[in-house]
Amino acid sequence: MNRFKAAALSIILCGVMLISGCGPLVENNRIEEIAPVIFWSIEEAGDGRLKVSTLIPPLIKENKQMLTHKVDLQREAHKAFNLSYYREVKTGQLRMLFISEGLARKGVSTLINTVMADPNISQRLYLVIFKGNFEEYIRNELDSQPNVDYFLYRMFKHYEEKNQGELTVVNLHQFVKRLYSPVSDPVMPVFRVDKDRFKYEGTGVFRRDKLVGVLRGMEDQIFQLVDNLHYLKNFPIPELSVGLGHIHANPHITLDKKNSSLAIRVELKGRIEEYRGDKNLEDASEIADMDNKIQAYLKEQTVKLLQKLQRWGADPFKLGDRSLTAFSKPTDKEEWSRKWSGMMIDVAYQLNLRPLATTPNIKPLPGE
Amino acid sequence: MKAFPLFDRTATFGGVYAMLMVNRLQLLFFVLVLPAYLVHSYMVWGIIALGILSQVNLWMLSKWFSTEYASQGYEGFVKLFGERTVRFAAMAGIALILVKISVITLGYVEIVHQFIFPWMNRNSLVLYTLLISGYMASKGMEKTMRFVVIAFLGGFWVIAFYFRFFLPPDAHLHDLYPLVPTEWARSSWQGMLLVWASLSGPEYLIVLGSWLAPQKKLLKYLTIANAMSVFEYLLLFIASILFFGSNYLNQSSYPVVNMVRYLQSPILDRIDIIMISVQLFYYAWAIGLFLLFFYGAIRILFKKRDKPATRAGFAASFTIILVCTIIVNQTFWKAAPNQNIWPSVQVILGALTYSLVPAILFAAIKRKGHDAE
Repeated sequence: MNRFKAAALSIILCGVMLISGCGPLVENNRIEEIAPVIFWSIEEAGDGRLKVSTLIPPLIKENKQMLTHKVDLQREAHKAFNLSYYREVKTGQLRMLFISEGLARKGVSTLINTVMADPNISQRLYLVIFKGNFEEYIRNELDSQPNVDYFLYRMFKHYEEKNQGELTVVNLHQFVKRLYSPVSDPVMPVFRVDKDRFKYEGTGVFRRDKLVGVLRGMEDQIFQLVDNLHYLKNFPIPELSVGLGHIHANPHITLDKKNSSLAIRVELKGRIEEYRGDKNLEDASEIADMDNKIQAYLKEQTVKLLQKLQRWGADPFKLGDRSLTAFSKPTDKEEWSRKWSGMMIDVAYQLNLRPLATTPNIKPLPGE
Repeated sequence: MKAFPLFDRTATFGGVYAMLMVNRLQLLFFVLVLPAYLVHSYMVWGIIALGILSQVNLWMLSKWFSTEYASQGYEGFVKLFGERTVRFAAMAGIALILVKISVITLGYVEIVHQFIFPWMNRNSLVLYTLLISGYMASKGMEKTMRFVVIAFLGGFWVIAFYFRFFLPPDAHLHDLYPLVPTEWARSSWQGMLLVWASLSGPEYLIVLGSWLAPQKKLLKYLTIANAMSVFEYLLLFIASILFFGSNYLNQSSYPVVNMVRYLQSPILDRIDIIMISVQLFYYAWAIGLFLLFFYGAIRILFKKRDKPATRAGFAASFTIILVCTIIVNQTFWKAAPNQNIWPSVQVILGALTYSLVPAILFAAIKRKGHDAE
């Protein structure tokens, strides 16, 4: 019995050792021999080819290296990195995928499918679109700030966790979930890059898997308010010389039964935090007047934005979700996109703003 | 050489053991793929309906367990059906158990292969999994039955991960619409069959009659077990619809594991690896239990029941199972889910046995009861 026990135990032990990685069958993940990269950047290289770049993290006292290869397939780039660098590139820590605008306009589904297929890549991979020369930016930054890749990752992570309306953050899962949905379209953040700048430009709107346009400035703020986050920490309206802050939005979106008209009622709660116009904010009637102006302005901007989206045939606001009900058959993609482009839109805002605590009204002294 | 007391009975087990065993047997492998096949949210009604139907089956089983026949084990079956029929049933059982073991082993190995060790040879993973189960089975029936407590404690808390998916901002009620079926395709019937096959498994407990019976209150425990299983199926299914949405759900091969992959923890990057590893507890337990059933059935078939169990016999049945599983892995098991026929065989067989076995036993004891009057 004892011998049997010992034999069984030793076989199991061998199995456990082999399974846990102490065996000849496993991938080599020895830290001295691998290079866990944290981003890919992919752009067009002409003739349907791709230019894939990544930044190799340093292990010892060495400089970070930017590797770039022109390839036909994404996986080919992975191989090319390994062939041109002495450590093996691993994707287990891949956190960001930068896609050039040109590529995004042609469709991202093949790129997305490839990263989805890699079991090492997390579904939390951030997806970003860039305009301009990303490679030049990284190469330039490397001299002054070698950790630029890590800081970019921290930026996305920061705004993903506690987003206050500054920027859209989208990960792989969220993108793909909306890509598959028949009644809404995905979004991605768009950044403008040049030699020494990496600047948020707005929310890139997709029609299926193709980028069709970018929501900038006020459009992006309205998108954050009505759909994405329902909160803006900082909401400047330069056209009215007023800055709102800590705005909570409570949108009521209703579609009629035939999906032919759309009503959006948004309640905004927050406060006025800055005013540089010439109204007297101690006067109730002037405050009411300004409220009306803000309401009218937001309404006009929102209607314009929605009409623009109708022209693009894209629905980043997930309005199509409202057409689903508990007891009816869901609309399919073609039907919804036809209905969406011909939909009547009615928008109204209701404001509930705490006025700015004003300093005593400083009137010009006589003779001044 | 000392005796090899594989099937000795020194104690009877309470209803709690039956409860844990029924629950774990109902949650093998198919629970991990089920959402990808059900897809539409109105299938929750299907799960609930089949859960109730399964309750009827368990009621019939509990009637069986309350009779004298159940507590006599093999002799009870012989008294009811005659020796020839029992040997024939053992032969059918051997085939059924072979299919069942190969499906749950290969299913588990495939998940391990896909998420943890994509570079490893699948046959070696099959070997290790079966070796662990074989070791446990060699400890005897009673120890294996007791191990269900560890298997349960090792695995049941995993569902706690999934409550997070019910919380906003990721969960929208819209993802659950429509709640009533607007069309009923053939795939919906296949989904229902899959749910029924997933709930199957308790029918194998009839061969444990001499350890579990006679018990009058068994129904209570079986009901709790069934309710727990149905609850877990509903929870996982609704969570995966909220997470993926109906249209994306059928593209994901192991939705339940992929969801855990999405979770973040400040300490560990890959929670899914922990989740898959703890599942080995009850896969090992279930495979070990079926190994013992397999050896028992072979002894009945070859009329060796009166002689003591031997190591050689046990090792031989272990080898048969290992070889068959590896053959299935090499020939029938395909990577593409829609080409993979082998699990479908288990779905049909599981659904059949779960529908027939309790009904046949119930009819048999009723008939005997009438004859006695």
